[in-house]
Amino acid sequence: MEDIFDTSLNLEETHLKEGFDDGYKDGLIAGKEEGRQVGLKLGFEAGEELGFYRGCVDVWKSVIRVDPTRFSDRVQKAIKQMSELIENYPVMNPEDESVQEIMDSLRLKFRGISASMGVKLDYNGYPKSFSGAKEIF
Amino acid sequence: MEFVDGRFELREVQKLEGHTDRVWSLAWNPATGVAGIPSVFASCSGDKTVRIWEQSHPSTSWECKAVLEETHTRTVRSCAWSPSGKLLATSSFDATAAIWENVGGDFECVSTLEGHENEVKSISWNASGSFLATCGRDKTVWIWEVLPGNEFECVSVLQGHTQDVKMVKWHPTMDVLFSCSYDNSIKIWADECDGDDWVCVQTLDEPNKYIPWPCSLVLYLQFLLLCFICLVVLFYFNNFHELHVSSNDTTLLGIFASGHSSTVWALSFSSTGDKMVTCSDDLTLKIWGTDLARMQSGDGYAPWRHLSTIAGHHDRTIFSVHWSREGIIASGAADDAIRFFVEDNDTDGLVDGPKYKLLLKEEKAHDMDVNSVQWSPGEKRILASASDDGTVKIWELASLP
Repeated sequence: MEDIFDTSLNLEETHLKEGFDDGYKDGLIAGKEEGRQVGLKLGFEAGEELGFYRGCVDVWKSVIRVDPTRFSDRVQKAIKQMSELIENYPVMNPEDESVQEIMDSLRLKFRGISASMGVKLDYNGYPKSFSGAKEIF
Repeated sequence: MEFVDGRFELREVQKLEGHTDRVWSLAWNPATGVAGIPSVFASCSGDKTVRIWEQSHPSTSWECKAVLEETHTRTVRSCAWSPSGKLLATSSFDATAAIWENVGGDFECVSTLEGHENEVKSISWNASGSFLATCGRDKTVWIWEVLPGNEFECVSVLQGHTQDVKMVKWHPTMDVLFSCSYDNSIKIWADECDGDDWVCVQTLDEPNKYIPWPCSLVLYLQFLLLCFICLVVLFYFNNFHELHVSSNDTTLLGIFASGHSSTVWALSFSSTGDKMVTCSDDLTLKIWGTDLARMQSGDGYAPWRHLSTIAGHHDRTIFSVHWSREGIIASGAADDAIRFFVEDNDTDGLVDGPKYKLLLKEEKAHDMDVNSVQWSPGEKRILASASDDGTVKIWELASLP
């Protein structure tokens, strides 16, 4: 007797649970897909920037091989440091804490070297530091 | 000294017009105004030009000798002469800095420093003229080395400030760089191992960063007692033993940091180089000091400590401050006034640090905000001020009989 009324009494709770489970399952699928998209985007951006630096460093190193006096000691040292940073970037481990640090160092070194050489190099989508509201003082 | 009892007045010597927009900054040529060489200074403006002013003889009037134009494409925000007086560096909102050389009376732009992403707010030469520093809205501080043939090479790009950096200034005797920012802090940068490895060795920022606030009252009181005991012990150690101050960090005893609570606009060193004054949007001037002998002997880094705060005298943002060779601190503020402060020897300064008192206040020195005040390098107490009203004024601080 009680069994028949039990299901009627707990109807709301049962439906709630069913709905939640359905939503959770759907959410898992949608979330995974979105995560994949975000990962792809961020991975691409990081890879693009890293690849850009690698390309620049490779060309500069070739220049040094051809003409060792073309760049000053300081610039050569910076190029070497950049090369090391690129090698040390944990490509396979995005959760590694040093990724932001290495990328920041690379950006600063790159800006310094470009300024010393007197060149302006970048690509579409190169990250500029966020400037915020325009201040005139 | 003689300031304490004397009476002073600020006499307007001349009002210099010519710029067609606000005058942001000015700089006296350090190699002029002495030994018979006519006094010269440069002023820079929102009208994209720099004007060179000269007083051919101490009793004649000031005249504009040159206008440096057609180079910067936006406001020229600051200017600085090299220690030899031969080169003038200017920084602009067009994201570049320019170096000018006086070639037979005409100023030529001999070099351009590019690299900043946006407005370059300040530029400074070190004592020997071998380094230049720039800073800007992109939050970075750049150090450049001066090479033969007016070549400049970027030594380092320093990140650390979290907001617009308003001013950079090299220490008057050592190659240590100071920067102040919209992020309320002052950062000190030095070359750690003499190998182009510039890092932030100290940050002077807001107080009370390290005091946690527990919830219960009893716990709080116990905590305070514990803190007090710890402080006494640490203070003892600080005074009698060397404390390691790790680079890139604030003063070890953070609760004594006592920094500004709003944008720090400018800083200036005392003639002895062991003290500096900073001015801020928080309406105060703060005096900081260090053990210079220890720094110079190479015995490791000697941290700068807060010595005194001058409060209650300004009711608007203080944009500029300059410490004269004799020890008079001049300030220029948003209320159009110029104020002068000196050390107050009447009160016992040894207990809480030196005290400073207002010597003179010149209200309505200009019709609008005073952006810059600079003492002349010459013998007399001459001060130049630049304002949003587009004028530069020359003043003399005269003592009354």
